[in-house]
Amino acid sequence: MITDTFALLVDAYREMNSKRLFWITLALSTLVVAAFACFGVNERGLTIIGMTIPIPVINSRIMPPEVFYKIGFIKFGIEFWLTWAATILALVSTAPIFPDFLAGGAIELVLSKPIGRARLFLTKYVSGLIFVTLQVAVFTFASFLVIGIRGHVWEPKVFLAIPIVLCFFSYLFSICALFGLLTRSTIASLLLTLLCWFLIFLISAADRITLTFREATAMQVERGPKRLKRMEAAAATEIAARTSEEPRDYTPEELDAANPFLARARQELAETEIMHHRLVIANDALVWVRTFLPKTDETIWVLKRALITDEEKKRFRVEMANAPQPPSRRKKDDDRPSEMEVGSRVEDILDARSLTWVLGTSLGFEAVVLGFAVWRFRRRDF
Amino acid sequence: MPTTAPTSGHGDTAIDLTNVSKRYPGGVHALQGIDMRVRRGEIFGLLGPNGAGKSTLVKILLTVIRPTRAEGSVLGFPIGHKPTLARVGYLPEHHRFPEYLTGAQVIDFYGALARTPRPQRRRLGAALLDLVGMTAWADKRVKGYSKGMRQRIGIAQALVNDPDLVVLDEPTDGVDPVGRRDIRQVVSRLRDEGRTVFLNSHLLSELEMVCDRVAILVQGRVASHGTIDELTKDRQYYELTLAGEPTAVHDSLVRALPPQASPARPGHDGFLTPDISYAFQPSGLRIYTTDARAVQGLIDTLRAKGDIIRLLRPVRPSLEDLFMEAVTDPLTGATLAPGAGPLKPKGKPHARNGGAA
Repeated sequence: MITDTFALLVDAYREMNSKRLFWITLALSTLVVAAFACFGVNERGLTIIGMTIPIPVINSRIMPPEVFYKIGFIKFGIEFWLTWAATILALVSTAPIFPDFLAGGAIELVLSKPIGRARLFLTKYVSGLIFVTLQVAVFTFASFLVIGIRGHVWEPKVFLAIPIVLCFFSYLFSICALFGLLTRSTIASLLLTLLCWFLIFLISAADRITLTFREATAMQVERGPKRLKRMEAAAATEIAARTSEEPRDYTPEELDAANPFLARARQELAETEIMHHRLVIANDALVWVRTFLPKTDETIWVLKRALITDEEKKRFRVEMANAPQPPSRRKKDDDRPSEMEVGSRVEDILDARSLTWVLGTSLGFEAVVLGFAVWRFRRRDF
Repeated sequence: MPTTAPTSGHGDTAIDLTNVSKRYPGGVHALQGIDMRVRRGEIFGLLGPNGAGKSTLVKILLTVIRPTRAEGSVLGFPIGHKPTLARVGYLPEHHRFPEYLTGAQVIDFYGALARTPRPQRRRLGAALLDLVGMTAWADKRVKGYSKGMRQRIGIAQALVNDPDLVVLDEPTDGVDPVGRRDIRQVVSRLRDEGRTVFLNSHLLSELEMVCDRVAILVQGRVASHGTIDELTKDRQYYELTLAGEPTAVHDSLVRALPPQASPARPGHDGFLTPDISYAFQPSGLRIYTTDARAVQGLIDTLRAKGDIIRLLRPVRPSLEDLFMEAVTDPLTGATLAPGAGPLKPKGKPHARNGGAA
């Protein structure tokens, strides 16, 4: 059993080694790390190869070098490079694995050996993941050195990127393997996988958008009554001043007559409550749907949760809140939640989503896809 | 689910098939109840026209295709018993090896998949490369190989697990005459070593040269099954050719033959004796017997009448003759259409079994 499994894994390495795209991706990963190392941060702003670009919100006071490199690694290295660009390249490289494996003249040779079909399929699947493992391992190790040398923090948790990105890729590769088995076409399996990924992304984006609006409206609903009270008090003072009588409890009509914006504010609050209620329903529905789908975004965020401590997060938020804001981001109304406040709240909610929900259900999806693929593979004639 | 216990009573049988059927989705009935036995240590040839079900049968033996119904055994274990495949070598038709591997790596890889220990793979790999004449190309990638070279490597990989049963599907496909001779020698050597060789080929002359027994598959059924001698036993004849114009030859033969009363079989014009029939040819006669004494009287009569005998020889039909006969409808004389036929009851009229298989 060890002999044949080992042979399949060695064959996967040889296949990978023969692919030009594997080496191109590896070279690009090295370039990305090199580019990452060129960036830095000082008290005045962002530095690129020693040149300082003054940016108010990116400097070493708000973001110490160790946090800058960790966030840079997550945002740039993982969220952009490994989970988008490198993943697309990895899918292009690995999509032919199953169609080639199942091609006439090749599959007969393998199926005629004393290996069970389920083990054969799963070993081939695992061998496909070796591609990403090697790519991510090289990238992560290089990033670890950059963070250590430039950021002066030797953070072993960086290596969590290997299992996390592997986990993320495995969701997509399971879909690719299934379509590869069903269609026996590299192009078809690749396009269908990208389509599924896009759909997963759309649902995830819809979850994020509805969550953001839900929290924004929730904050408005929470703050609305206080705002109304303030407006009512101001209106009462104005009536008292105008009529020169002792302040008393005025009817809403009297207050509305004194301040025409009060009625509108009441109406806005009522509408916001209805909107919030609808957003809660919509977001709950999306979260329920997503329970059965792979959580690609959240899987990557697990790395951020592991790398950025709560203390670092709090400090960053405080510094960001105190930093001078560009005019477009300045608060126009003290009662309305700022973009940063809503963002922080959404971030906290996303961070509070359990690992069981994020990884467990995603791996469950993968297990179902692979289970169906294995069942199909075992029953199929070649 | 196949059991792991060996089937009993098959000590001398490498492949024992009973009622093997395969119906594909869509209704194509590729195999319609195949019964076949292949003895250990023999070279067995499976032939048939395109679409007869040869590859389907081979793939069922090797678990590449799931049979609709199958009873029997391979090397004493039920069909589908995976561990048995470690003792089977296989070269599929139109095989495709990973192009990034070298010839030596191909042999090693498929040997490892067959769970052959590494020392054995190393030892046998080198010997097999030498056997198939590929030592000089061992470290070159398969991508650069010609079809014949791929075929040679394919045969080597089929033998790296030191198999008891070797299944070769069109082993001489794309191979030049010298290569074919080499492959024939390899196949004969395998038999001499006590291995069973199951050959699937279109090249009837190749099969005829090496096979101990053959089966002809037509439209998903075994049309003939046995040794070539057994299959040709009833079809051997003496060919008699006289000098002269065809009309004169015919008249001379009619005068020399004894008067016949019994009706002739289709294609036979009459009977010399109740057991021996004959058929006229443009310049002579075919006498369907293997007994030389049966033709002596006729020769004496012809010679007494002054006719000149140009040729008299015993003739055994070739495998191609048997094959053509098997794929020809006896009633219409038309060649049977390729592909699996409609479902018919067993024991079709044109099937001939040449003896115990």
